[in-house]
Parts: sequence; C-alpha cells; structure tokens
Amino acid sequence: MVSRVRAELRKLLGLPTAWVGLVLGTLTAPAIVLLNAPYTRRAIAAGTLTDTSDLGLRDLGVGLIGPMVLGVIAVSSEYTSTSQHAPGARQLTATLTAVPDRLRLLVAKTAALVLVVAAQAAVAATATLGLTQVLHGDHVPAPAPARVAGAILYWTLTALLAYAITLITRNGIVPLTLLVINSTVVSVSYLLTKITDLASYLPDIVGAQMFIRDADFPVEIAPLTAGLVMTAWVAVLLAIGAVLFQRRDA
Amino acid sequence: MITVDRVSKTRSRTRILHDVTFEARPGRVTGFLGPNGAGKTSTLRILLGLDRPESGAALICGRPYRKLDRPLTTIGALLDGSGAHRARTARAHLRWVAASNGLPDSRADEVLEIVGLTGDARKRAGRFSLGMSRRLGLATALLGDPEVLVLDEPVNGLDPVGIRWMREFLRNSAAQGRTVLLSSHLMSELAEIADDVIVIDKGRIVARGSLAEVTGDHRTLEDAFFALTATEAVRPW
Amino acid sequence: MNVARAELRKLLTLPSLRLTALLTWAATLLLAYAYAYADRDAPLGDAALAPLGYTQAGFLVLGVLAAASEYEEGGQIHTTLLAMPRRLPLHVVKALTLGAVTLPVAAVTAATSTLPAGGATWTPAATAYLTLTTLLAAAVAGVVRRAVPAAILLLGLYFIVGPLLRARPGGIAAYLPDTAALDPPRGAAATVAWTAAALALAALTFHRRDA
Repeated sequence: MVSRVRAELRKLLGLPTAWVGLVLGTLTAPAIVLLNAPYTRRAIAAGTLTDTSDLGLRDLGVGLIGPMVLGVIAVSSEYTSTSQHAPGARQLTATLTAVPDRLRLLVAKTAALVLVVAAQAAVAATATLGLTQVLHGDHVPAPAPARVAGAILYWTLTALLAYAITLITRNGIVPLTLLVINSTVVSVSYLLTKITDLASYLPDIVGAQMFIRDADFPVEIAPLTAGLVMTAWVAVLLAIGAVLFQRRDA
Repeated sequence: MITVDRVSKTRSRTRILHDVTFEARPGRVTGFLGPNGAGKTSTLRILLGLDRPESGAALICGRPYRKLDRPLTTIGALLDGSGAHRARTARAHLRWVAASNGLPDSRADEVLEIVGLTGDARKRAGRFSLGMSRRLGLATALLGDPEVLVLDEPVNGLDPVGIRWMREFLRNSAAQGRTVLLSSHLMSELAEIADDVIVIDKGRIVARGSLAEVTGDHRTLEDAFFALTATEAVRPW
Repeated sequence: MNVARAELRKLLTLPSLRLTALLTWAATLLLAYAYAYADRDAPLGDAALAPLGYTQAGFLVLGVLAAASEYEEGGQIHTTLLAMPRRLPLHVVKALTLGAVTLPVAAVTAATSTLPAGGATWTPAATAYLTLTTLLAAAVAGVVRRAVPAAILLLGLYFIVGPLLRARPGGIAAYLPDTAALDPPRGAAATVAWTAAALALAALTFHRRDA
C-alpha cells in the first residue's frame, strides 16, 4: 500500500501542470493579502468590515484553483496520450499493468492527492493567516484552530470533488471549466441560492460554512453539519467515479 | 526527384545534421538507412517543410516544400502515426485533406480502397490499430496521386501481409516512374526493395550509391552497414 | 479557397466543438432564467450581460479545443502542414474560419442572454465579443499547443485574476480583455487589441517554430 501511494505521489508530482497547480494554489492567497493590505486597512478603519475574524479565511478562497488543478490532473493525465504518434497509448495502460487491482489503484491515487492537497492547504492557510496577523493583527483576532482545520478540509474536499468529476468525465476540460467559473466572486451556485434555498446544500456553498461566518447564506448551517454534507457529496461522486472506473475498459 | 543539398541543423545546441547531401531519382526506390537517432526523421522533416534547416536546402522537383502549389499532387508523405485526429472518421479526415488541395471527395474512397480500408471508412481514427493507422497515413499520402513518395519507417506496425503488400506497392510505384524515398533501420527489409541506398550516421551521410555499390565487398547490406557506422575514421569518400 | 474549405470541414467534423457549443448555449439559457428570477429581490448586475460573464468560459474552451486539436495524439498538425505548407496564409484562414463558425453560435448565445432581459441593443456587441474571445483563446492555445494547460491559463486569467484586479480601485479594468463582457463601451477596445496581439503572436510562433 505504501509503495503504491508513493508511486502515485511520484506520478502526480512529476507532472509540470501539477506544479502549476501547486504554485498557484499556495501563492495566490498570500499574494492577495499582501496586495490588498492598504485597502483592507482602510476598510477596517472605516468600519465597513462586519466580521474581521473572516478576513484571512475569506482570502484563502482564491487559492482554490490549486486543488482544482491537482484533482483534475491526477486523473486526466492518465487519459492523455503518452505520445503524439501513438493514438491510444495512454499512461493508464502502464498504470494498470503495474497495479491491476483498480480499487487499490484508486485508493492509492486518492491518498496521494489528499496528502498533497492537505499539505498545500496547510502551507497556504498558514501563510495567508500569518500574513493577515502580521499586517492587521491589532484588529483581527487569531483564527480559531477549528476554523483553520475547516478551511484545510474544504481545500481537500474541493480537490476530491474535481478528481471525482474527472473520473466520471475522463476529460480534464469539463470539470476544470465548471469548477473555475464556479469559484468566481459571484459563483453560479451562489446565484442559484437566490432562486431556491436547496442550492445552499451545493457542495461549494455548504462547504464554505465550515469556516466562514459572515456571508449572506440564505440557510444557516452549523460548521459540523456543513462538513458532513460536503463530505457526503464528495463520497457519492467518488463512489460513482469508482464504479465507472471499475467497469469501463481502460 | 528529391535533392538534399548540404543541409545542417542544430537542436538544443547539438548539431544533429552535418551537411547532409543526397538525391533520390525517379523510377527508383531509394532507401535511407541509419541507426536510431542518426538523423533520418530530422532530414525528412526538413525535406517536408515541417522543420527549418539551419543552412542548405532540400528541394522536391526543384522547389522547397513550402513553395509547392497544391503540394499533395506532387508529393505524398507518410510520417509516424496516422496524422488524423482521433475523433474524426477516416473518411472525414481524408475529405478535409482532399479539400485542402482542391481534390474531389471521391478521391477519399478511392485511396481507402487502395490501402484496403473501405470497410473502416466510418470508423474514428482513435479506434484504429497501429497497422490500420499506418494504412490511413498512406491513404492520406496517396490522395493527390503524387509523383514523389516519402515514407518514414513505412513497415513499422504492419503485419507480414501488410509488409509484403507495402513492398510490392512501393516497387510498382517506382516501376511507374515515381520517386520513392523511404527511411528504415531494418536492413534486410531495405535490401529487398531498394535500388539505391543512403547511409546516415550521427547526422552525417557515410555512404550513398546503388545497393551493390554500398554493399561493396561485404556479404550483406547489414555487414556493410556495421562496417560503415562502427568506424568513423574510414569514410568512403 | 481550398484552404478555407479544408479548415471549415475540420472544424465541423470535430464532435467536441459541437458539444461545447451546445453545452455553452444550454448553460446560458439556465443562467438567463436564474437571473430573471434572482433579480426580483436583489439585483446582481446587468441581467442582460451577466450570464455571458460566466458562459464566455464555453467560448474560451471552444477556441482552445479548436486550436489544440491540431497538436493532439495522431499528429494531425503534420497532415495539415504537408497539405498546406504556407503557414502565414494558413494561420489567417484558420482564424477567419473559426470566426465564421463561432459567429452564429455567439449570436444565438448572446441573444439567449440579452433578449429575455430586454437588452436587445447589446446583442451585436455581445456577439462580436464572444467571437473575439474564441479567437483569442485559439491564439493562446496555438502557442501553448496543449488543451488542459491552455484552459488553466485562460480560465485562471478570466475568472480569477481578472475579477481580483477589477475589485481593486484604479483604472486597470479597462485594459483587461474581458471587461467588455460586462461593460461593452468601456472594454471593447481592449478586447480587440488583446485578440489582435494574441493572434499576431500565435502567427509569429506558428511561422517560426518547427512543427
């Protein structure tokens, strides 16, 4: 098991695109905190920020492109051709020859992704929240450990969401497009909450309630429940992806 | 008629071709022989206008590839792979290529027939086996009924029946007056069909002439090849 | 003319392009409906153009797929260059045919967004914007040559970097290629300039680089 996870880690970290995800995801949020510092200071002084305890945690959101790219690329790289000249030559063929048990393969792959993204999230969160403390420490309370853990969990689950959707579509572009446009300031999910309260239970909306308090969520959900609902989404999609992966021809 | 005149090329600071010079004449099958990485494919890519030479010129019937008008009616080329996008059917692929050179759609079905893929015309290129991909690539090369054929490792991926078919096809093409240039690292295969042989090693031409001339005093072309490529100091000219 | 016919056939026989166009239009329809509903209690921006702010992603993908398909497995780019070796005219024709194929899709999508919100006057501008965006994406993907990295780059710029820069005070927004999506008079010049620059860069690399 350990050797399989190590192999999957090597594969993931050997992809140039994965490093794009790692670098983008880790650096974007701290960079934004730094760049926005003057405006944030003004906002604090003017008293327009209602809940300053959200400050660093909210900025973390822009780094989510990292986990999304990592989740997508972990699967899509298996399906892209290894050679321009050999149609049908996919890395997956080599992978399945090395680890024929597909369920074990998926477990190892998932574990590798979780390790990488959780580590990335921990680094990004520490950097972002640390910077926020350094820059605005007088006005911003130190973040509660539970909320930081919630944010790290949110990153990991987002990566798994991207991963599960890619397992189902076997194509990187579709999940990437869906997730990235849905991570914009006014996300599609947020728009849907204006139509129906049920949209509050969409994974990205509900998951954010694990660590963000002050937002205009139409339905207030306790952090623990929020975490469970998002985990359920990921579990269901992963299950569908796993079943399809088992059944489909490589 | 193919003329390659003192072509040199450097890639990532390594000189991969040194003053490569040779000819391939009409009515003859010319074999381009060399070990892996010797510069066969690089030379052919420059000949076909895909890559640029650093110096020198590669001409087809007296003109560089990029200056040819409706090039497929002059020269047909088979490179690695099918050259078709995996999501397109064989027929759809051949039809866009035909359109690009002003050839009628009916040519698509004609060349599919020549290479024996008529039954697979509606199949997507991504579903083709290696051998079928090569046949589709050859069908593309034949669309314009060209007078020059350039083939990179044409028998790679073909089964014994396919290899024999390819051999006869190339011999017949030369017999009809076409210029046929094919690269290979399979010496016995080449010895069976080539009239002329060019040997390249480490980016330099080390021998050229008729099959008999290049074989010389050696028992087989293979022996001659090893003698030529192993001893760099002794050159035939 | 032959080149145009060939390029047109290529675009029309690529299933992924049809699928992308269809999904993009369907998503626009859904969002136009969502905005029509949501706007009753809380206005979230100009409902005529806002759905296009999201579904322009579909047009980015359309451009990426059209250009990157040449470089995928199978090596179609070799076939293309063997059949049409004059690269600069080929590049121009490629852009024109992609524009011609995208225009009707862009028009229908733009109308789907603008008409229900009573913004019919925006339809021509939105159509032009979406078509240019597709060309810009195709130019970028032509330089990158691979679909997923090109998509990450473009989506990241349009949906993450763009909004962040726009949220900051200062006049930078007018210089971003996608400002016109939400504010046509302000960003039109930027869209045209960015697209032209990207196409020129793509033409230069296409002309100079070994295939």
